Amino acid sequence: MQYIVDQLINGICQGAIYALMAIGYSVVAGITGMVTFTHGEVMMIGAFAAYYSFLLAGNNIFLGLLFYFGASWLLGVAVYKICYEKFLNSPRHISLICTVGFSMVVKNLAQICFGANRKPMLNIIDNRVFTLGPVTINLLQIVILTVVVVLAVLLSLYMSKTRGGIALRAVSQEKTAAYMVGINVKRTAMIGNCIGCGIGGVAGMLMAIYYQTCYATMGSMLSMKAFSSSILGGMTDTRLSALGGLCIGIIENFGISFSSASFRDAFAFCFLILVLIIRPQGFAVKKGARP
Amino acid sequence: MKNLKELSTKYRGYLLLVLLALLVAAPLLGFKNSTIRIFCRILMCCTLAGSLNIINGYSGQMSLGHAGFFCVGAYTAAILSTRFGVSFWLVLPLAGIFAAIVGMIVAIPTLRMKGIYLSIITLGASEVIRIIALNWQSLTGGSFGIKDIPRPAFFAFTFDSPLKFYYIFLALAIVFLFVSGRVIHSRIGRSWISIRENELAAKSLGIRTSSAKLVNFMYSAFWAGICGAVYAPYVQYIDSAVFSLDEGFNILSMVIIGGQGTLVGPVIGAVVVNGLTEVLRPIGEWRFVMYGVLIIAMMWVRPQGLAGASDSVLAGGRGWKMKKGKISSLMGGSK
Amino acid sequence: MSEILRTDCVSRYFGGLKAVNNVSMTVNAGDIFGIIGPNGAGKTTFFNVCSGIYRPTEGKVFLCGKDISNLRPDRISRVGIARTFQSTQLFQYMSVLENVKIGCHMATKSRLYDAVLHTKTYRQDEEFATEKALEMLKYVGLSEYAGVMAGNLSYGIQRRVEIARSLATDPKILLLDEPAAGMNRLETDALQDFLKQLNASGQTILLIEHDMKFVMNSCNQIMVLNFGEKICAGPPNVVSNDPQVQAAYFGSGKIGRR
Repeated sequence: MQYIVDQLINGICQGAIYALMAIGYSVVAGITGMVTFTHGEVMMIGAFAAYYSFLLAGNNIFLGLLFYFGASWLLGVAVYKICYEKFLNSPRHISLICTVGFSMVVKNLAQICFGANRKPMLNIIDNRVFTLGPVTINLLQIVILTVVVVLAVLLSLYMSKTRGGIALRAVSQEKTAAYMVGINVKRTAMIGNCIGCGIGGVAGMLMAIYYQTCYATMGSMLSMKAFSSSILGGMTDTRLSALGGLCIGIIENFGISFSSASFRDAFAFCFLILVLIIRPQGFAVKKGARP
Repeated sequence: MKNLKELSTKYRGYLLLVLLALLVAAPLLGFKNSTIRIFCRILMCCTLAGSLNIINGYSGQMSLGHAGFFCVGAYTAAILSTRFGVSFWLVLPLAGIFAAIVGMIVAIPTLRMKGIYLSIITLGASEVIRIIALNWQSLTGGSFGIKDIPRPAFFAFTFDSPLKFYYIFLALAIVFLFVSGRVIHSRIGRSWISIRENELAAKSLGIRTSSAKLVNFMYSAFWAGICGAVYAPYVQYIDSAVFSLDEGFNILSMVIIGGQGTLVGPVIGAVVVNGLTEVLRPIGEWRFVMYGVLIIAMMWVRPQGLAGASDSVLAGGRGWKMKKGKISSLMGGSK
Repeated sequence: MSEILRTDCVSRYFGGLKAVNNVSMTVNAGDIFGIIGPNGAGKTTFFNVCSGIYRPTEGKVFLCGKDISNLRPDRISRVGIARTFQSTQLFQYMSVLENVKIGCHMATKSRLYDAVLHTKTYRQDEEFATEKALEMLKYVGLSEYAGVMAGNLSYGIQRRVEIARSLATDPKILLLDEPAAGMNRLETDALQDFLKQLNASGQTILLIEHDMKFVMNSCNQIMVLNFGEKICAGPPNVVSNDPQVQAAYFGSGKIGRR
């Protein structure tokens, strides 16, 4: 019993990070209408930005937050300019391949600049453990959950209440019509992309803190998780994507408790494939999400 | 330019013969073993990239998991020949068939999907295959891989040097291109292309799109599996690290740089990418950055690749616009 | 007269919207059957139900007495319904000849090994497909365009290519979705003559059209849809004098019919 509860907590915590990655991913996919393979690299850059910010500026998580949000934002602009802007009206596979190329560039540049070794993440949150009945949870997990929930709520408020958010939603639904009512589609799509990347960056840094390590090639595995989660949620729906991330996190943690940790990724994919066989549209109710 | 094209179609047979003679004679000119190895790699990639092109270029599905099929072929061959001592010549088709079966298993969930969904499933499948290869200790040797894979032999003649393997790879590439050329220009090939160009129309003409896609996947996986079966005894030692996603992207970059949707495209891609790998070896890790830049540049300038089918949806509509201008001027406003 | 296509109380709902509601009709062999109706009347949805792109929510579709309601589009085209689309769905980057050749897909049988070994079946199939395609192009009068890429042709010609491609499947019934849309008067007249000639050679045709004149002149049976419901059916003279049809087209009184 204790074991199961522990695994559930671990799963939820990990799932929360996946959920954040998936939210970022589906924001990008929804608003630009493009599919990205650079998301993992964005997360990796986020993690490294956090690493250097902690190294240089000490254990200030808020300064860190600003720092890596900025780094991911800049990368988002680069991705947008290089991979999307020119191809907004072309067949989608072209920009997809472009993002594959871009992720190769970033990954290998990171390997050259940051070194190929794993970097130990500083332990910025002390390991206090709270016990509540059968539930044991440590401070790190609480912080992660809080950050994820706060960010998700902020995003959803931004999307539904502000002018900018409404413009973003307009662009995500119909670009031509958005042009007609005077929205600068290219700029809005870029901002959407950057928001998605920024969220991805935060997820990357949470991941790095959670596992207390970051390395240049961490992106590819993370991006696979982000894909899987957001595909489970039907690609463009942020809430369902978050649910997908949560599911994958929990499934993974239960899966590895039955077998060995090396099958972690296999569980995620098998679950994804199984779900897609039964419901090709993922959790989404409507058929035919755009990407 | 046009004359050149006409001449090359007219004397196509002779040109191919000359090329073949060159390819057969080339390694006999006294290259170092290391150079021959590069040739072998290029020829292997011709088949590998070519078979990926069957999925990506002809039926227009974005598969990203080709390394997985390659992996299946290589492991099947390695296991069969080390554990059961099956002869190489029997292993070859068996590995292909087994890879095709795996291809079918991967393809079934993707049949109802399009675009990115399919890409992710294939990517995931490739990764699952690698993870299984890495962790199924008792069968695949886990992270130690499989050692001492026996060299193929033909009666008393053993293929024990890169030079001899060069001819196996050459034969494989030629057979692959020949067979695929025929398949593409048949009813089946046409149905694949019609799916790429317009799936709705294909369906309305009675083409069973799902079974056509299934055959397409299996055909492609078959050749990737055979490639793996030749690769395993060639290197004599395989482990799962070779078949990572990066290898998959590497194959993909050959197809894209060379050009999707033509038979010659992946061949050019294999030569260019592997050639670049060698030329750029001095700059070390930067060459992977170069690949990325090259892929992006390709998409910006010529999305259909160096020798891709410019007259297809793959070209992103650009080749079409250009031709439109040409043809309408040709017709001189007759209608 | 034998019936070719019959629908039996077919309905198709999209959520709460009844796009097609309880429509029954019978197309007999040798008919040119027209479906007309104002915009949003559910004509194309009805077509899509007949050709299998949508499944009927309720009701059944029969082709020559065989229930085809729940078949996939490719199966339906195998049993003998060929269709064209409102927005032409050509293989834009292929030549006109290739487009039509793909229409012969069903009639040919060659398999993977036939293609690899160039067996007799393969050669016969290729010959058959090419000949048939050329014949069809000649039939619609497009022989001179055989080598031209389909996407480069004018709208009217693209429609004819699509018709040729559909005819290559040897259909029992040909479904044309707004064949005259985007054509000028001359082209429309030519199309009308062509359809009549096609019909005279024994082809049953079901078509949707906006152009009243075109429908009245070419069809021998007409069905009128409005708001997804059948409001009238019969020969042209009956339909054109029906008060409900006139109401649907021209409105009735200050507030339109709803």
